[in-house]
Amino acid sequence: MYKPPLHIAIMEPSKIIFEGLQTIICHSPLDCRVSRVERLEELTEMMGHSPVAILIANPMQFVNLEKEVRKLRKVYPTLSIAGIDFGIIHRQSMLTDISFTLYDTPEHIVHSLMKLQEKSQQSEQEKVEEENLSPREIEVLTCLVNGMLNKEIADLLNISVHTVVRHRKNITLKTGIRSQSGLTIYAISKKIVSIEDIEI
Amino acid sequence: MKMADLIDANPNLLLMLQHFNIDFRVSDMTVWQLCSRYGISENLLVSIANLYNGFDTKGHQPFTRKDLLQVISFLKNSHDYYRNDKYPQISNYIRELQENHPDREMKLLEKFFNEYFAEVLEHLDYEDSIAFPYFITLLDEGKAVEQGGRYSSKEYGEHHTDIELKLQDLKNLLLKYVNIEGDLDLRRKLLFALYELEFDLYLHSLIEENILIPSGVRIEKEQNV
Repeated sequence: MYKPPLHIAIMEPSKIIFEGLQTIICHSPLDCRVSRVERLEELTEMMGHSPVAILIANPMQFVNLEKEVRKLRKVYPTLSIAGIDFGIIHRQSMLTDISFTLYDTPEHIVHSLMKLQEKSQQSEQEKVEEENLSPREIEVLTCLVNGMLNKEIADLLNISVHTVVRHRKNITLKTGIRSQSGLTIYAISKKIVSIEDIEI
Repeated sequence: MKMADLIDANPNLLLMLQHFNIDFRVSDMTVWQLCSRYGISENLLVSIANLYNGFDTKGHQPFTRKDLLQVISFLKNSHDYYRNDKYPQISNYIRELQENHPDREMKLLEKFFNEYFAEVLEHLDYEDSIAFPYFITLLDEGKAVEQGGRYSSKEYGEHHTDIELKLQDLKNLLLKYVNIEGDLDLRRKLLFALYELEFDLYLHSLIEENILIPSGVRIEKEQNV
């Protein structure tokens, strides 16, 4: 069974600290791959093609970028952030989920990362579990399966195209099926549409 | 480190060897010996093996032109593996499943797969006939400049299709939704084949994104294409 390894990104300008953390993580039981990012923009770009589950960051890198960090977390709710505490932060920063210091034992650091990973997996599971579609989403799905365009669906159901697009996004999120032909099979398996209505 | 020990730890590396045209009988050769026998730089083989083992390639030496030509041949070989081995295997399983369960739902699933397969072939052909020749010309010093302008590494990066997404759809349909009674042997074989394909496709795009595209962009910059 193949599950992509946990993707951890480290944003820390010091090569010594980066390599130290990388060594600790790679020698731990965590099934993961580690990337290095230099700036926040680089992380944002990376989220697009190979999503990061945990970011380990030097909080100094967030200075004056608080707004961007919050935005990133809003767009990618499954991203967890661990801050490296250099002893200059007196209270837990609002931007990080956990923090550790460079003097913590490797076991302690790995343990905190594992807890973070469980948390992010849980939230992903919760998302998947809500598979039941709302009555409105079922209506939109039926239209889609019958080959209607967004504009036609909007006119028929008396809603805006924007709302149709939102319903479609939610349908994909709930079912895990993205393509139109895949959704057709989903709708038939779930008996949302009758198979006789579909041309093969 | 002996290659045989590495394979023992991660048998997926056999696929990597095959894509490099390296024979599986690796005897007691170390990675270094294997590389020199097959004329592959250690930097390249270790970088790709690291990707197979879940590590990033950052921090490695820049890849030479010879390395990149070998990357292209590696990617081409993996196309052959998809075209001639993995997809026909999956296609046969699905056809067999459809014959055992001749209802309309399975028929739709087969149709879904056939359309998907056609898209995949189109994408592979595109890479073989446009993208790879472009990179080969680019790597052939001095020639690329007049060829440039029409095509670039960046465009190649953007041409990535939804091959992996549709594969995910197929897996989700089989695991969650489509009603099939029994036939567990066949269904397990089908699912395993889908997971194997998914794994290699994932590696394929990692190699394109982490090695080929950044190196292409670097060479374009040097040549001011």
